[in-house]
Order: sequence, then C-alpha cells, then structure tokens
Amino acid sequence: MSRRIFLASVLATGVTGLVLPAYAQQPDVYRIGAILSMSGSAPHYGTVMSRGALIAIDEINASGGVDGTKLELVIEDHKSGNTQAAVAGMNRLITVAQSPAVMSSFSGPTVAIAPISKEKEVFVINGGGVSLRMIGVSPYMFHNRSLATDLAAAAVHRAQARGYKRIAQIAGKSEFGDSVIAASYEVAKKLGLEIVAAEQFATDATNIDTQVAKLRAARPEVILNWPTTPQAGLVVKRVREMGMSQPVISMEWTGEDTKVAGIANSNGVEVATDYFSPTTDNAMGQRFYNEYKQRHGEDPDFYAANYYEGVQVIAELIRRAKLKGGDYWNGARLTEALWEDPSFASVYGGMMSFQKNGVALKRVAILEVTDGQLKLKEFMAARTE
Amino acid sequence: MDLILQLLANGISNGSQYALLGIGFGLIFGTTGIVHFAYGPVFAASAYVMWWLIAALGLPFLVAVMLGMAFAAGFGVLSYLVIYEPLVERGSPSFVVLVASLGLFIVIANSLAIVFGTDAKTLPDFSYGIYFLGDVVVTGVQIAQVLVFVAVALTLSAFLKYGTWGSAIRAVTDNVDMARIVGIDTRKVAIVVFAIGSVISAIAAANLLVREGASTHVGFFAVFYAFIAVVVGGVGSIRGAAIGGLLLGLVESTGMWKLPTEWQSTIAFLVLFVVMLWRPTGLLRGN
Repeated sequence: MSRRIFLASVLATGVTGLVLPAYAQQPDVYRIGAILSMSGSAPHYGTVMSRGALIAIDEINASGGVDGTKLELVIEDHKSGNTQAAVAGMNRLITVAQSPAVMSSFSGPTVAIAPISKEKEVFVINGGGVSLRMIGVSPYMFHNRSLATDLAAAAVHRAQARGYKRIAQIAGKSEFGDSVIAASYEVAKKLGLEIVAAEQFATDATNIDTQVAKLRAARPEVILNWPTTPQAGLVVKRVREMGMSQPVISMEWTGEDTKVAGIANSNGVEVATDYFSPTTDNAMGQRFYNEYKQRHGEDPDFYAANYYEGVQVIAELIRRAKLKGGDYWNGARLTEALWEDPSFASVYGGMMSFQKNGVALKRVAILEVTDGQLKLKEFMAARTE
Repeated sequence: MDLILQLLANGISNGSQYALLGIGFGLIFGTTGIVHFAYGPVFAASAYVMWWLIAALGLPFLVAVMLGMAFAAGFGVLSYLVIYEPLVERGSPSFVVLVASLGLFIVIANSLAIVFGTDAKTLPDFSYGIYFLGDVVVTGVQIAQVLVFVAVALTLSAFLKYGTWGSAIRAVTDNVDMARIVGIDTRKVAIVVFAIGSVISAIAAANLLVREGASTHVGFFAVFYAFIAVVVGGVGSIRGAAIGGLLLGLVESTGMWKLPTEWQSTIAFLVLFVVMLWRPTGLLRGN
C-alpha cells in the first residue's frame, strides 16, 4: 500500500470514528441506558421503573449474562418530563456510556429523543409514555405500553357501558395530557357522547381549584381523570371536597394517589390502564413479582413490570443479533432482529407481539379502588376507537 | 353566575395564601435587599418537619405547627448567617448573593428528597368540613387560610407600627445607611426579619400540608408567587405584598372564567408584566 493511501485510510478511519458512536463489536459489558423520572414532581415513576429494570438486569447477570457478557444499567434523569434534560441524558448515554439500547419514559422526553434515536440509530423501548407523537418518528423506537388512544378508548367505552353521556375530563398540560384529551374527543364523538368540559393544569401544580370548579359547573355525569400520580389523587380529593359525587375513571392509580385522596374518597374510583398481575401459569411474572416483593416490600405496578420486560426484550434481541454474527451491538441490528420475529415472552403472561407501528398490543384492564387496593373488574379488548 | 362566584371564593382563598407568602418574603427582601429564593425550600422543609412531627411522633397538629415555626425561624436565620451575611460583608455584588440563594434553593430541595423520600407526605384522616353558600363550596381549610392571613397581617402590621423592633425594621427598610448612623444594629435587624419571614412561611406551609400534603417541588411555587406578590405590590411595602398576593389569587382564578385553564400558570406572569409596565415600582410605590 502506498504511503498516500495508508494516510488516507487512517484519516478516514479517524473521521468515521469521530462521527459515528463507537460501539464495541464485542463489549465487555452491555450497557443499557434508561432515561427516567428520578427527580422533580413525579419521581415515583423513576423509582419503580428503575426497580423493575434492575431486577431484570440482576436476574440475567445471575445466570451468566447474555452469552457470558453481563448487563449494566445506566440511568439518566429527565426530571419529571423535562425534555432538555432528556435530550442531554440521551446524548450522554450515546457518547459517554456508548449505549445503543435505551429505555425511555414519559411522552415528552420520548418524543424529544426520537429524532436522536433516528439519527444515531439507537434502539429505544418506551414503557411509560403514551403520546401518539412518539409513533413513526424513529424506525428504532418501540413501545411496550398502551397508547393514549388505547386508554382513552377504554375509558370512554367504559363510560358509555355504564350509561353516561355527559363526560368531563381533566389532565396535566403535557404531551401526554394533550394526546389523551384529543383521543377522548374522537372516541366520544364516534360513540355519540358529549365532552362537556376539558380542563388542564401545569404538570407540577398543586392548586387545581379553578379546574375543578369549572368541571363542577359543567355538570357532567362522569369524570375522566387523566393525570398521573400524585395528581390523579389530588383531582379526586378536590372533586369530592367540592361536593361532586360523579363517578371518576382514572388512567392510573397508585398507593400515593390513595394517600393524597384519602381512602374514603378513593373508594369506587375506576382505573382504565395496563394491568400487571402475576398468575400461576405465568412463570416470568411470578418470578418478577416475588423478587420485587422481597426487595421492596410492596407489589410491583405495571410500570415496574414494563421496564423489567423492556430489559428482557433487549437481552433477547442481543442474543438473536449475536447469533447472526458481525457487528451486532448497535440499534440497527437490534431493530432488524426485532422485525425478524416481533414476538417476545411477556411479563404479563404468554407472548406479546410488536405491531407495525412499533407498539406491543396489550389489553386494557378496568380496575376499581376498594379500601386502597385495586381490584380487577374486567379486561377490555385492545382497540383504538 | 355560580361559576364566577365559586372562582371568586377560590381566588380569595388562594390569594390569601399568596399574600401570606408575599408578606414573609417581602419583609426579608424589602429590609435586607436579599432575594432569598431559598425561602421556597424553607417553606417546603417546614411542611416536611411538621408532617414528621405529626406522622412519626404523633404530636398534636398545633404543637407540630409551633415547632415547625421555630424550625423555620432557625433555618432562615442560619441561611442568613452562613450564606448571605459573609457575602454581603465582603461587598459581593447583588447577583452573587442571588446565585448563592439559588444554590441554597437547589441544595435544600434535593436534601429534602434524600432525607424524606420523593413521595407526597399527607396527613391522613384530617377532616376540616365543607360548607355550602348557595351553590358555592368552601372548605374549612379555605376559610382558615383567609383567617390566618388576616391574623398574621394584622399582627405584623401592629408589630411594625408599634414595636421597637418594628420601628427599627421600618428604618432599615427606608434607608439602611441612615439607620446605621442613628445607631440601629442592622445585623440584628436582618436576623430578626429572616426569623419573622421564615416563621410566616411556616404558617403558610401548615396550610399547604393540610390542603394537599408536602412534596419536594412545592418550594418553587411558594417563592415564585411570593416574588410576584412583592414585585406587584411594591418592594418594601408589606401592605403592597399583601395586596399583590390577593390580586394574584383573584386574577389567576377569575381570569379562567372564560379562558382555558391551561393558561392559569401564564396568568401570573401576565399580571407581573402588566404591573411592571404600568407601575414599575409596584402598586403601592415601594422602594
């Protein structure tokens, strides 16, 4: 080789190395990134999500890792939905942790990192965000959580099934809140129901008197309560304090919501949501449930389950991609492995399959809060209208 | 008609809370010139301490509130002595003191999350009654908020007007150099206002604890609304801070009568901008 060609090759290699993330072909450890809500107004989610993910990491590592290589979780904090923090965290995961597989959460941060996922070919799996704006931006982005349309459809159908025609809804002012309110309008219109009020508040607001006053003035028959923890509980507390006895259908409900609302106010609240409950024929779910209960002294919710499942999906994709050989530890190869077989064992039991839009289809459960506990009433078939 | 009356009732109640926060913050800011952003986390920390005294130690509510007020006074004075006073004595520019205040805000807010955890702290089984005035609903807490604000405002007003320390505080607020010349110990005055202002924030924190519970991010809203109340009312004017807070609460609530409620957070800034453009020194022409 001539000196000129040799120098050109070295230069080209150097430039390529600067431009593209330098994922090791056979890393010493598979670093899986996670962008979670670890601080701010909603740190509960980051806490339970990271717990679920870490249980999966430890479980896989205890059995020798993925074909002998251990997994490591690297967490970045989007501070309860701060999109700038999410983008900064994503960039750090790519450049510093050199992770080609990331788990995201919350709609706003997931939407914000989607272009980066596309540009840098980073495999992303979201187990918490529900906005429709997450769909179709990056071919490397997937979701193992029901979308806003799924949840809205379930809640509005539930309202109709209970004989209600006048619906009021309340949500935080966020990517997620906007999505679910818009989705509810569409479904309600198709079913011939009327949305008589739709109020929103700042996502970290603690004073929602004005919003609840306007809900009350609209005289609805049922209230769709879209905020996440702990504002879901705050809405119920305020609604009952203002003398409103209308039934409430929430999108989610945790122990913290019961604390904020009070047990008496919480009773009878229905919840239309993804639902994780281990059954005797679900070994994976049982394993996860037992480990979570042992470590943290409480039952895991579906968020924890989704992130446990997310790590398992990534680990399975690594195995599949590695089998094919070559440079497999990158988002493009992991995505390719997913589309070759979009079915995975699910922590909810049985198998789940990713649809063409990247969303794993799951049925929505209707639960009722009774003495602070969530009791399953029925499952609703997955649908978007 | 029912809606606007309800919004008016809510506005008076919320405005009372903002006014309470405003007079505490305004007392510190107007007297010392220090933008004490850490006022918010002191407010939050007081709520957490009161919650802990009730939930962990089983103390009666009023006892916990008194101890919370003492805690806030100590915490506020400590922040002055350890952070602000050294900077002021060295002649640090005001923006340096402001940055130090923001740093203190972040440290305290994150420390609360580490020490107490990140979940909301509520008082279970704390009932306070609901009252109907026609179609308007008013809770016992809302009534208490208004009464507490009136009591604190009157007490503070009397203290400033008739008390020896009150006269000294007014003198320092008017002209700190002249106050020194006539022999007023401005350092002691600063300590006293930090103590009183922090105690007032603790009283507001007790309101919050009963209404919604404490969480780590409540400090931001407290100092945000307190700051706007002071600027709108006029820096250096306690009456102005009270009026600013009440006005803020009323506009924030009744302004949503015909507007979508997602604009509620924005309305506070709109009030601030309008007042600053119209009367830059505040409604009551503060310093």
